[in-house]
Amino acid sequence: MSRRVLVVFAHPSRDSLNGAVLDHAVNGLSRTGHDVRVRDLYAENFSSRLTCDEKRGHLSAPDTKPQLADDFADLLWCDAIVLVHPTWWGGQPAILKGWFDRVWASGVAWNLPEGASNIRPALTNVRRIVTVATHGSPWRVNAVQGVPGRRIVNRGMRAVCHPLCRASWIALYAVDRVSDSRRRRFLRRVERRMARL
Amino acid sequence: MHATVLLAHPDPESFAHAVARRAVAGLEAAGWAVDLIDLYALDYPGAISPDEWHAYATAEPILDDTVRSHADLVRRTDALVFVYPTWWSSVPAVLKSWMERTLVPGVAFALEGPKNRLVPKLTNLKYVVGITTYGSPWWYVKLVNDAGRRTISRTVGLLARGRASRRWLALHSLDSRSPEHRQKFLDRVEREMASLR
Repeated sequence: MSRRVLVVFAHPSRDSLNGAVLDHAVNGLSRTGHDVRVRDLYAENFSSRLTCDEKRGHLSAPDTKPQLADDFADLLWCDAIVLVHPTWWGGQPAILKGWFDRVWASGVAWNLPEGASNIRPALTNVRRIVTVATHGSPWRVNAVQGVPGRRIVNRGMRAVCHPLCRASWIALYAVDRVSDSRRRRFLRRVERRMARL
Repeated sequence: MHATVLLAHPDPESFAHAVARRAVAGLEAAGWAVDLIDLYALDYPGAISPDEWHAYATAEPILDDTVRSHADLVRRTDALVFVYPTWWSSVPAVLKSWMERTLVPGVAFALEGPKNRLVPKLTNLKYVVGITTYGSPWWYVKLVNDAGRRTISRTVGLLARGRASRRWLALHSLDSRSPEHRQKFLDRVEREMASLR
């Protein structure tokens, strides 16, 4: 089945391991005939800061935020999301956290019915989330830190997607210390996994 | 004793701003010298820049005067106090950006020896404090995730080498709280901050 896949890339340099991950991910996805849109947050100079007006209007309809119209459209278009990013301070880079803060908004990703204390899912078009993350620290250190980044996506954000949405996490640890052959194996694994999505 | 209070909320009339004011009042009543860093008021960048990323692993990872002044504060302060609203179970992007740009090698940690051993550098800290509001109820935060707390108490706390006392003050289900309840939380913040020695 061909899917509509939104790939969100959050690394300041395309000439990095993460840049190579992005290329391999897109290759894998295209090979299978998926329809792919890539958002390169750094290249677009995406502003990660939720504004005062956006905060004051955080329960308003999406059409009150024309500055985010394209971002909302991408999120509502896709049925799978692939996130490609390094792990900094246990989680997503700030620029990607800001994409969550601003774009996963009321009326797009969730609704808060009058009087309710908890949000209701609205992003039911999304049935698959895959993160490809690199970690500077070894697996052990991540375990002690509690992998906050993975929790944000695999628990918190998946909860507003389709009820059967699957979330998975493909990670390479201790990237500064692994051998070139290990990196190449990782990139091939990313491509294979994306082709099977 | 010196405290650095970080505030990350776009709206100057927000509850988070009131919390920060009361936290500062409590600290000052107890004789602390306080620096308040209001990230939105500083128009603080929402992401580490490509140049900063390239400089990260060099001997001079800091390229900006504001970041340098914040790093100097972090090196000598006795308490780091984070005041923010929880969005997508974690800190707002601008606060994440502050961590990425300020808590760089040589400030928060050092990588030493051939194996890049991680050496904590935040050993001057006596307190790491998080004060946050959640839209979600208490049970939801516990069940789904508490990534912001993990990022601050564990990830930043780890670099204080376990010497720092970690405090967490949280108000859940913010949107459905009565004015009296909010007032009580503000009183509690001031009281707890005034009790730090």
